[in-house]
Amino acid sequence: MAALQQGLTLFFSLLVEAIPFLLLGVLFSSILLLWVEPEQLLKILPRHPLGGAVAGAVLGCLLPVCECGNVPVARRLLTQGIPASVAVGFLLGAPTINPIVIWSTWVAFRDQPLMVWGRVGLTLLVAVVVGWVFSVQKDLRPFLQPAVAQVMPPPMNQPQREPMLAGVPTGNFFALSGGKALPLETTGWNASRLLSRRGRWQMVWVNALTELRELGGVLILGTAVAAAIQVFTPREVILGLGQGPVTSVVAMLVLGTVVSICSTVDAFFALSFAGSFTAGALLAFLVFGPMVDLKGVSLLLTVFRPRAVLYLFLLAGLLTFVLTLAMNLYL
Amino acid sequence: MNGLDLLAISAWGVLLLKYWLTGQLAVLIHPNYFPLTVGAGFLLVGLTVWQGWVRWREPGQPQAVAPGGQLLPRSWGRFLLLSTAVVGLIVTPRPFTSQVALESGELWNMTRTLPQQFRPVSRPEERSLVDWVRLLNTYPEPDAYQGQKAKVQGFVVHPPESPVNRFFIARFVVTCCAADAYPVGLPVDMREGTAQTYKADTWLEIQGQMATGQVKGQRRLILKADKITPIKPPANPYLY
Repeated sequence: MAALQQGLTLFFSLLVEAIPFLLLGVLFSSILLLWVEPEQLLKILPRHPLGGAVAGAVLGCLLPVCECGNVPVARRLLTQGIPASVAVGFLLGAPTINPIVIWSTWVAFRDQPLMVWGRVGLTLLVAVVVGWVFSVQKDLRPFLQPAVAQVMPPPMNQPQREPMLAGVPTGNFFALSGGKALPLETTGWNASRLLSRRGRWQMVWVNALTELRELGGVLILGTAVAAAIQVFTPREVILGLGQGPVTSVVAMLVLGTVVSICSTVDAFFALSFAGSFTAGALLAFLVFGPMVDLKGVSLLLTVFRPRAVLYLFLLAGLLTFVLTLAMNLYL
Repeated sequence: MNGLDLLAISAWGVLLLKYWLTGQLAVLIHPNYFPLTVGAGFLLVGLTVWQGWVRWREPGQPQAVAPGGQLLPRSWGRFLLLSTAVVGLIVTPRPFTSQVALESGELWNMTRTLPQQFRPVSRPEERSLVDWVRLLNTYPEPDAYQGQKAKVQGFVVHPPESPVNRFFIARFVVTCCAADAYPVGLPVDMREGTAQTYKADTWLEIQGQMATGQVKGQRRLILKADKITPIKPPANPYLY
């Protein structure tokens, strides 16, 4: 009975602390989805592989979306022809390097500024390195799902095999008011542009509440897992796993993959392990968790082919493992 | 998005506001974050009531932009939100017990990184338990505090294998929410009687003098109690 009471207090304290941040996250990402056209950013993004990867990773500061919101944005940008390094840097970096996530991490680990800086720094490093590696592949299209690759323009620096009629777009279009036209293939994620102002705002609220229902459910499941582990696992087992420099990191990488809590609130999940796990392990969770989780995989598979997703995760996972292990051993 | 979804989400808004109005929020999170939670509560209730009204006035509102893959079936999110909110509305959250303090094993080690900055309280009898522990962390020599007066409040913890006249007086310290609560405490020696007079988890105010003695084979600061007064559990059980 006492254990159940403790579990409930833990469970509700985590949820009460996390839900305001989740609400903020879904409101931001919904406004972004319906009002901001990220295509405008394309003109200012650097095309250099390394510079592009850095730009992609810090793009999250302008487009504060958690891992659930960034895949649709990345898909949209890819079909507009952003370089691979930017897209991959954005996919891996943006869920963590954005104001809401940094704020919630700071709230959770106010006592340990190292966790906040470490999280941002390591995420940036991993995102940039993986983005850089992916930029070796000049033409991303073989990595992408056919539906996405089809609407993607060929890379700019590649000689065209066929002469292209530059100024004359071809295909099927939706005619919009004001003489504009929307390519048919892109209406799936551009449908909101057909709406009136009021209609668009109404979509923002509906979208935010729908995401809240979905992500709230995931958050509740994840929090229940955290509380159950804390209360029902014998303390010696947790400490035995959590104090080893290698086992603790591996355990947290696995937890980060399985527990798909939104990155805006996963710092609170990690917090409940702060007393028993090594700092490196907590960082591994905070860095790798937003990059990959069960929900992220199914979303990513709507953009990339399975093999590319596998490369992405293996690279990011190994890098996170090595970096946080080094931190455990040498810091 | 249907009526049940809106009900489930607004139930969480109501729960957040209930915690605030009944003062139970203090058991769950650090007071710094009360405004965030209260704001979220109002926003959730307001948004869902307004959307419910819009839906009732003009049925056939658009569905959300499909974000792609979904991890949970649609009905799960609604069910989880609604059921946990109902549990939250029924159950009163309780602060952690002395058992939790004992199991964490942190009453003895004090290995936790405590905040770097703190203002030492100069009058010893005004120091709270956490002030004492922070002071001891910074300057651990127990002899330095010998003979100082002390007045602290906390709950009783009975560690196994303690001398008959000794118990611990402890509090939980919170930086964010109950999830990171960790115990701080001081050993208390009674001048007469046995420690078992006071049941575990009883809240006490203890006045006395600091002394040094052996605790688990280590020389440590001990509070010699002159006066022990049972008190009501405070509304806000944590120290910060």
